[in-house]
Amino acid sequence: MTPMPQTGAPALVLTGVGRRFGALAAVSDVTLTVAAGERRAVLGPNGAGKTTLFNLICGDFPPTSGRVELFGQDITADPPHTRARNGVGRTYQNSLLFNGLSVQDNLVVAVRGARPGRFSWLLPSRDDVAKARRLAETVRLGHLLDAEVASLSHGQRRQLEVGMALACDPRLLMLDEPAAGLSPVERPELLRLMQELPRSITLVVIEHDMDIALPIADIVTVMKDGQVVVEGPPAMIESDPTVQAIYLGHGRAH
Amino acid sequence: MSGDRTGGAGRTGLGLRGLGGGWVIPASLALLAVMLVLPAFIPPFFTGNILGRAIVFGIIAMSLTFLATYGGFVSLAQMMIAGVAGYAVAVLVPGAVPSIVGGVPYGLAIPIGLLAATLMGLLVGAIAVRTQGIYLLMITLALGVGVQLFIQTNIAWFNGYEGIRNVVGPDVLGMPFRDTYVFYYTTLAIAAALYAMVLYLVRTPFGLALQGIRDNVRRVNALGYHAAWHRIAAFGVAGFIAGWGGLLFTFYNIGISPGSIGLGGTVNILIMAVIGGLGHPIGAFIGAVIFVVFDTFAADLYDRDRFNTLIGAVFLVIVLVSPDGVLGLAKRAGRLFRRAPAPSPAEARQ
Repeated sequence: MTPMPQTGAPALVLTGVGRRFGALAAVSDVTLTVAAGERRAVLGPNGAGKTTLFNLICGDFPPTSGRVELFGQDITADPPHTRARNGVGRTYQNSLLFNGLSVQDNLVVAVRGARPGRFSWLLPSRDDVAKARRLAETVRLGHLLDAEVASLSHGQRRQLEVGMALACDPRLLMLDEPAAGLSPVERPELLRLMQELPRSITLVVIEHDMDIALPIADIVTVMKDGQVVVEGPPAMIESDPTVQAIYLGHGRAH
Repeated sequence: MSGDRTGGAGRTGLGLRGLGGGWVIPASLALLAVMLVLPAFIPPFFTGNILGRAIVFGIIAMSLTFLATYGGFVSLAQMMIAGVAGYAVAVLVPGAVPSIVGGVPYGLAIPIGLLAATLMGLLVGAIAVRTQGIYLLMITLALGVGVQLFIQTNIAWFNGYEGIRNVVGPDVLGMPFRDTYVFYYTTLAIAAALYAMVLYLVRTPFGLALQGIRDNVRRVNALGYHAAWHRIAAFGVAGFIAGWGGLLFTFYNIGISPGSIGLGGTVNILIMAVIGGLGHPIGAFIGAVIFVVFDTFAADLYDRDRFNTLIGAVFLVIVLVSPDGVLGLAKRAGRLFRRAPAPSPAEARQ
C-alpha cells in the first residue's frame, strides 16, 4: 500500500503552507522543497513557527492554507498515523516516550506501528524484537533494553526519541531540537548519530544550536515570525547579514 | 511529568509494571495453588459466600482495572456491562421466572451473553472515544445508569423493577452450579484464565500500544497507530471480562435485578478496584476480598445498617495511607525492605 518513491520527486514540497491559530499566524505562506536524501536544518528564534511547521508536515493538525507533498504525493489532509505508515518519522522537542514501558518495549511499539498487525494478540515476533534491539544499538541504548524509560537520563531519552523515529524505516526523518538540553559530552555523540544516518533517509532538523545544525546541513532554512527569511548552504547562512541580525538581535537562543 | 533522572541505568521495571518483575507469574501460580486448597480448610460459607463471591466481583473490577492500569481509562460502565451479559442469559435460558424468551440452552446462552457484553463494551468505548479524565467518568457513568434505567422500566423484555429470577446456572461437568464447590472452582478457573489473558495481552503489540496510549497518545499516532481504534478495542476486551463477571454474578444470585447493576453496584466495583490498587490486575481481587469481608461481617463488627459507614471508613483509610491501594502499600513495604530508591516519576504520576 505504500507507494514506491517516485524517483526524482523531492522528498518534501510545501506550497504556500500557512497555519493560523485564531488571529495568530503561526506559519504563513511557507514554500520550500527538500530534495530526496538532503539534510535540511531549520533555524530561527523562539516563536518563529518551526515546531508548528513540523506539526503541519507530520499531520498533527492540517494547514489552514497550502499543500504538503511527500515524494510527489499530496498528503495535506492525511492524519498523522497515515503519514507515519508512509515513512514520516519524527521526534519531539520534549521527549514523548512511554514512561511506563521498558526501552525495548518502547521500540517494539514503534516498530509495530509501521507494520501490519498493530492489533495483534500474538506476542511480538522474533523479528520485531530483533529490530527493536538493533535500533537500541543504533542509538547507543543496547545496554539498557530492560530499563524503564522513566528511569533514563535526559540524554538517553533524547537518544530513544531518535530510535523510535527510526523504527518506521522513515524516508523522511524529522528531528525537533534533538540536542536540546544535552550536555557537552552528549552533543558530539548525537551529531555522529545524525551523520551516520544513510542517505536513503531525508533529514529535516530543527535546531537552535548552530554547532549542531551547520555541520550536518546541506541547506539551511531560516525562519522568523512564521515565514522563511533566508535559505541557502551553511556557509552563506553564517555570513548572511539578515541571519546575523536575527541572532544578534534576539541573543543566541538555546 | 518530565521523567528526567540521571543514573537510573540498569534499574529494571519497578514502576507501573511495578509488580511486573520476573516473579509475577510464580507469585500468581502460588496464589492460585493456595486458592485451590483453601476450601479444604475453611467452612463452605467462606468458600462460597466470601471467596467465591469476591472472585465474581473481582472479575468485574478487573475489567475496570485493566482499562485503568494499561489504558489510563477509568470506566464506570463496567457493572452495567456485566449486567448486560447477565440479562442476556436470564432472558434466554429455560427455567427463568418470568420466562421471556426461554428455551435456549446455557451452552448457547452463555456465548450470546458474552458477545452482548463485548458489543456493549465496544459501544461504550466508541461513544466515549474522545473523552478523557472526568469527562470519561461522566460519560461512562451516564451510559451505565442510562442502560440500567432502561432495563428497570422495560417490562416486556426485562421484567422491569423485579428483574428475572431462578437463573440457576448450567451444570458443570454434570454437577449443578448451585453446589458451593462447583461454583467456587468454576469461578476460580474463569478468573484465573481471564487474569492470565490480561497478563498475556499486555505483552502483545495490542497491549503494548494500549500502554503507549496511556503514556502518550500523540506519540502513538505519530508511530502509525490509529489510537482511537485501539481504545475502542480495549473497551471491548474489558466488556468481555465484565461479561464473564456478569454471568457468574447472575448465577450466584440465581437471577438478576436492575437494582444490583445500578449506581450502587457501580460504586462498589470502583471502590474494590481502588482499594486493591489500580497498578496491577490482581488488585481487583484483593480489593474485592476486602470489600466482601466487610460486607459480610459488618453486622458482627458493628451493625448491618452501618455497612456503608464501615466500608467508607476502610476506603478512606486505605486511600489516605496509600493512594494506590493495597498494592501500593505492598510495593512501599517491599521498597522499605530493600532500601530501594524513591519512587520514579512514572509511579508518582499515578
